[in-house]
Amino acid sequence: FTDVNLNSRNTYEVSRRRSAPEHLPHGGSAPAEPAPPPQEPADRARHRLGIAGAGSSFAEFFTRNFFTKRTKELKPAVQSAPGWKLFGKVPPRENLPKDSKIIQQEYEARTGRMYKPPPPSARRKNIEFEPLSTTALILEDRPANLPAKSVEEALRHRQEYDEMVAEAKKREIKEAHKRKKIMRERFKQEENIASAMVIWVNEILPNWEGMRATRRVRELWWQGLPPSVRGKVWSLAVGNELNITPELYEIFLSRAKERWKSFSETSSENDIEDAGASVADREASLELIKLDISRTFPSLYIFQKGGPYHDLLHSVLGAYTCYRPDVGYVQGMSFIAAVLILNLEEADAFIAFANLLNKPCQLAFFRVDHSMMLKYFAAFEVFFEENLPKLFLHFKSYSLTPDIYLIDWIFTLYSKSLPLDLACRVWDVFCRDGEEFLFRTGLGILRLYEDILLQMDFIHIAQFLTKLPEDITSEKLFSCIAAIQMQNSNKKWAQVFASLMKDNKEGDKNHSPAPKS
Amino acid sequence: KFLVIGNAGTGKSCLLHQFIEKKFKDDSNHTIGVEFGSKIINVGGKYVKLQIWDTAGQERFRSVTRSYYRGAAGALLVYDITSRETYNALTNWLTDARMLASQNIVIILCGNKKDLDADREVTFLEASRFAQENELMFLETSALTGENVEEAFVQCARKILNKIESGELDPERMGSGIQYGDAALRQLRSPRRAQAQSAQECGC
Repeated sequence: FTDVNLNSRNTYEVSRRRSAPEHLPHGGSAPAEPAPPPQEPADRARHRLGIAGAGSSFAEFFTRNFFTKRTKELKPAVQSAPGWKLFGKVPPRENLPKDSKIIQQEYEARTGRMYKPPPPSARRKNIEFEPLSTTALILEDRPANLPAKSVEEALRHRQEYDEMVAEAKKREIKEAHKRKKIMRERFKQEENIASAMVIWVNEILPNWEGMRATRRVRELWWQGLPPSVRGKVWSLAVGNELNITPELYEIFLSRAKERWKSFSETSSENDIEDAGASVADREASLELIKLDISRTFPSLYIFQKGGPYHDLLHSVLGAYTCYRPDVGYVQGMSFIAAVLILNLEEADAFIAFANLLNKPCQLAFFRVDHSMMLKYFAAFEVFFEENLPKLFLHFKSYSLTPDIYLIDWIFTLYSKSLPLDLACRVWDVFCRDGEEFLFRTGLGILRLYEDILLQMDFIHIAQFLTKLPEDITSEKLFSCIAAIQMQNSNKKWAQVFASLMKDNKEGDKNHSPAPKS
Repeated sequence: KFLVIGNAGTGKSCLLHQFIEKKFKDDSNHTIGVEFGSKIINVGGKYVKLQIWDTAGQERFRSVTRSYYRGAAGALLVYDITSRETYNALTNWLTDARMLASQNIVIILCGNKKDLDADREVTFLEASRFAQENELMFLETSALTGENVEEAFVQCARKILNKIESGELDPERMGSGIQYGDAALRQLRSPRRAQAQSAQECGC
């Protein structure tokens, strides 16, 4: 299940899978990353997932080739034997007048396949072009204990059989071509990633401050960061304004551990050190972290109890609630921490997490500062109207306000609503462009589905946007995002937002959140 | 318009999923903000389309989720029979719902996770007494097995219809959370445009 899911949701994993040893088509010159040491945790994850992937592709390969071969061996025997059946519903063995020699041949073929795989190139061709499902259709004799078919019947059956096989072959060749094309694209993508990685590692990262804002780097950045440098670039881009050190993380982690211990021993109220949350609320949030960890990317099975990253995620979130009791744990955080953990070492993940959540937009949302959130929604609507006027009116006519779909998107930075690899690409550019890109992405999604949404009523739009289709692709989404202009009568996002803030400044005194204790 | 409210982890989204898909969702996420579901049910020969707002349970999200209460005709108030804490929070939820949705909102109390009887912390008797005192309907449900899930929604809808028939509830009033569907379209069960603020159709 894990693998199926990764397969459909994470193209990077797929490309890694493709380069797993069993599948190496080009004699070991894997385009996979050499994995520099600082990438350790991310690589561990991928390594683990890679193994799972390789396992299943091997199984897949095995069944395919096994059945292909088997029929070839069978064919001579069935030549003169009309009467077909579907593979899989094999009648009891004693009814099969099968030559022992054929059985022997089959066995050899099978074992030969298993222990002496053909050269990679041949195998590859096999996978792609050998018609596959026709092999499941076998024309066979009527069992010996039954009267034989008449000549006409036999002829007719043979003809029907041939037609079916031809039809199936045609379809399969077409599918094989399609597969090949996808494969070719994947390889191209993989090569792009590999070459981009070289540029990132050798040129950009060593000269980060000087190059980060150059046009070339920004363009390369937009294409998506190679997974092996992703964590590093995110860390650099998010920065460490808070000056958190790994030692500080350890301190807050041990404090969190103490608290868990005292919490599980007695549910007593001990310390009231912060102004923000009540003790009860904080204890509830400790419980809630536990509950939510297992509900974070449940399909990946790595954050769940007993999974390899369960404790890590628990640690990062626990340390954060001790570090920022004024913010505490808020649902949605577990997704952000999880994505960081997948790309960074534990302490680095914490540092990035704390700094990321300290950005004005994230702080406003995670403190659930409603009036500030409304400002963000209002700014979003300015650009919504500018870019997608028709859809904007459509939503207006149903009083469908942006909070309905934006809250989930912004709180989790799209990691809950978009496929993980796509969410990571959104994060890439979010790290480059800041909060504005989160709202631009939202508009990109609306643009991508504009035609469908225009046909829907309130409840269907709401359902659609709070549960986006899973087959959303990065090319399509990013071309829609690119088409969104974050410019409103010469005002950029920051200016629009600032003017909205100014408009209502007198109105609400309550918009500045409680200071950190 | 229907709400599903209650503490985090009580199984609100799972109840909704079970009601709509007739399946238990064992890999569900926590809801951030609000999620939606809709279903047409037959209540005493009338087709009622429920538009269900499934809200986030964390206390911190209250200020957000409160804004979704307006114009709700019915609500499922959910607690977890294996967690007294979720039961203790009911009064707060109830106050919010009565104050923000409408005085006449029909609420059914759902003691969820009925299948985990061994870990029970809240007895049926205690909860049903609470329900009686607060004029709530009450059921113990299991999103896992599906027990009483459909019933909870249907009973709530039926009560609303009864109230309309007895004149206790006026669907024409603004913010009643109820809207008559066009009879012809209703037969076709097709989604349709609605004029009012939150676009409710025939139903609640």
